[in-house]
Amino acid sequence: MTFSAILGAWIAAFLTLGIFSYLYKDNPFYKIAENVFVGVSAAYVAAISFWTQIYPNLFGRLFPKDGPLSFTGLEFDFNHEFNILYLFPLILGLMMLLSVFQQFNWMARWGIAYTVAIAAGLKAFGYLNSNVLNQVKASSVDLFSGSLPFFSLGGDSVFNNIVLLVGTISSLMYFYFSKEQTGNFGRFTRLGVYFLMVSFGASFGFAVMGRISLLIGRFNDLIDYSSADYNFATFYVLLFIIVVLGFWSFKNREK
Amino acid sequence: MLLKRYIPIGIVAFFGALTLSAWFIDNETIETFANDDATQFFDIIAAFAVFLGALNLLKLQFIKVLKQQSGWQYSAVAIASFFFAFIIGFFIRGAYFVGEEVYFSQGAAEEAILALGSSQQIVPVDWGAHVQTDGSLFQWMFKYIFSPLSATMFALLAFFVASASFRAFRARNLEASLLLVAGIIIMLGRVPVGSLISSWVIMYIIAFSVGFGVNAYTRNRNMALGWVLGSFGLITGLGFTMGWPVDQPAIFYLPALQEWIYLVPNLAGSRAILIGIGLGIVATSLRYIFGLEKSYLGE
Amino acid sequence: MKYLEDIILKLGAVDRRIIFLLIGLAVLIPLLTPISLPVRETPTTVKFYEGIDNIPKNSKVLVSFDYGPSTRPEIHPMNVGVLRHMLRNGHKIYISCLWPDGIYMALDALEEITDEVNPDNQSTFDIKEYEDYVLLGYRPGAEAVIKGLASDLRKVYTVDAKGRFIDDIEMMDEIKNLNDFAYIYSGSAGYPGTFEWVKYGGDPTGVPMSSGTTSVQVNEVIPYVQTGQLIGLLAGMPGAAEYEKLIASPGIAIQGMAAQSFAHIVIVIFIVFGNLAFFIKQRRDRKY
Repeated sequence: MTFSAILGAWIAAFLTLGIFSYLYKDNPFYKIAENVFVGVSAAYVAAISFWTQIYPNLFGRLFPKDGPLSFTGLEFDFNHEFNILYLFPLILGLMMLLSVFQQFNWMARWGIAYTVAIAAGLKAFGYLNSNVLNQVKASSVDLFSGSLPFFSLGGDSVFNNIVLLVGTISSLMYFYFSKEQTGNFGRFTRLGVYFLMVSFGASFGFAVMGRISLLIGRFNDLIDYSSADYNFATFYVLLFIIVVLGFWSFKNREK
Repeated sequence: MLLKRYIPIGIVAFFGALTLSAWFIDNETIETFANDDATQFFDIIAAFAVFLGALNLLKLQFIKVLKQQSGWQYSAVAIASFFFAFIIGFFIRGAYFVGEEVYFSQGAAEEAILALGSSQQIVPVDWGAHVQTDGSLFQWMFKYIFSPLSATMFALLAFFVASASFRAFRARNLEASLLLVAGIIIMLGRVPVGSLISSWVIMYIIAFSVGFGVNAYTRNRNMALGWVLGSFGLITGLGFTMGWPVDQPAIFYLPALQEWIYLVPNLAGSRAILIGIGLGIVATSLRYIFGLEKSYLGE
Repeated sequence: MKYLEDIILKLGAVDRRIIFLLIGLAVLIPLLTPISLPVRETPTTVKFYEGIDNIPKNSKVLVSFDYGPSTRPEIHPMNVGVLRHMLRNGHKIYISCLWPDGIYMALDALEEITDEVNPDNQSTFDIKEYEDYVLLGYRPGAEAVIKGLASDLRKVYTVDAKGRFIDDIEMMDEIKNLNDFAYIYSGSAGYPGTFEWVKYGGDPTGVPMSSGTTSVQVNEVIPYVQTGQLIGLLAGMPGAAEYEKLIASPGIAIQGMAAQSFAHIVIVIFIVFGNLAFFIKQRRDRKY
């Protein structure tokens, strides 16, 4: 194992156990790890965004090789042709950066407005097509063709299709608040609530499943780092954190 | 007013309408602009927004350090970490190829060449590719600093979910009970241990639970006991008759029951939510484009 | 009976750090002492597997790595399994990333594939970049990227992850946009991911697609499976374990199933105990 890998393992073990130390109580190890995360992630995302987007797609289109602005000495060869329209995102982007100063903070609105516009224009059709039209189409289930069994636990059946249809409509009806939900309408929407509760229960079950899976991943890494290959990093770091935390807790209790 | 309000509203209206109309208008210029250039502009401005976020973060942390507010030492850690990662990302290539091997620095690559007695050339990775190269310093930082922190923050939630399950999730009424029962069936039915739990165990548990209900409804312990004993006897008799198969009756076998709940009642609820979200997003997007919604201006 | 009720009430008021310790042990112990539990495939996973098997041999497929290290334990085994399955069927793989971390997940997955050896100590997959796969890399922009891919790939990607011009890569010659792929797969942990691929990739182009998602997302995505917008689905780590079993390549997902199972049992016990304590307290409060 290389020195960089071993050093990396010790750092990773320290940061991981530092975050887990929050389970005992809020403490300096957790705060250090949290602030390292804040700092590193901001710079990491900035670096990725610059080198994968601004550098090739913006500079590559404003300062292409042998382009009209090559007299500036700036040339970025990404196989693009010069496109003057790309001054627009450059200006909006620079305005966004200037908004960090109090007197210019209105400048970010132009860039935000553009992103809102594109998102709205893209999402409106996408959600209408995929979420509404296709889902409503799929709600028209087969009840009377006679090709399906009445009940099946695993596959399609008339009973399952009835439950699906009734469940979808009653759940949708629950979200209709323009009419008071009383009488038969109220009973129907109550049925919808029960379907929604089953759905939320399933979401809860899946959420628990997801979180446990992530914990398994962390523990797997800590187990890896506890091996001789990494000079038993997990054990030494854990011992260090426990001793220091114990001492810190004792001092805090005295205070 | 013009610069701060009307121009941003105009930008949303114009580009929003243009992007939306590109789905419906068969005009090559509009389609090309909406599908290619407009989305590229979006990506570029989003990239600048990331820098804005980083600058704001630094501003706040610096103010905290300079004014020595509570916890300023940790802000100093955040600032130091930011510049550590920033320098690696912007000023250090961190990837020098000697054949297939990658070294963090030119010096390390030269030492390797001397040590191996190789005649290979050192090929520094291109700027831009250095953030996506396997074995680079940037990738080292990602793998041993960013990645463990990011993963552990999420993994912490497992403990809080367990704590919430014990202290907060209560079957106070029928709806909450439905939620909990569905959650439990999904949790057990989806994992291998669920297939080891015999359907007969579930039948006994249901019979026992119904006994509590009979007791609560009739307030007659003898009746409840009678129910429990009777149903247990019936289940036992049935079990002996069928030979105690683990997965029969299928409706009480957790994996099969879980699958039915997942694909039928759960799907109905999820579909309703999805349709509702879709309609809401369409309405909100149109409100933005028509200028009725101005929350992006801070109003 | 009263004594038992008192014990349950006392347990109901236990310090939450004991709960943390118990759940930690429930996950850690099965990882340290591997226990093998039978994995049972669910219909959605089988549909996913068959969907990939039904792709005509030697096709071009797009695999998107839309997750990061925080959700790696769930999605990574799926994506590695998908790469194995695709390569066994002779497909050419084109790898894109909508998440910035996705590129490193992709590099790790490719490293796992290339490092894999068979019992004869030979490389199982002798894959070469630009012959068997192209690593297009990460582009920010979420749905804008997918829309761009659906229209003209070269507007989004002019160079690949290593900085090589797309036009200089022979494998990219016949690829103009998403319509030139036979199948789209997204290993997705949130936004951007499955939803965006369905709305802007699969639905507008009609290219068959599927996805592997985190457990948290499964319930939101399942309507797309029923409509056929997704051909099957891999649901979280259990889904990854089922898929590993189907492709006969057991990996970390199957290994993690024992820990997952025990943790779930512990949480169910917590829920039952918590509610028992609640009912007992409620009944006693009503009496007094």
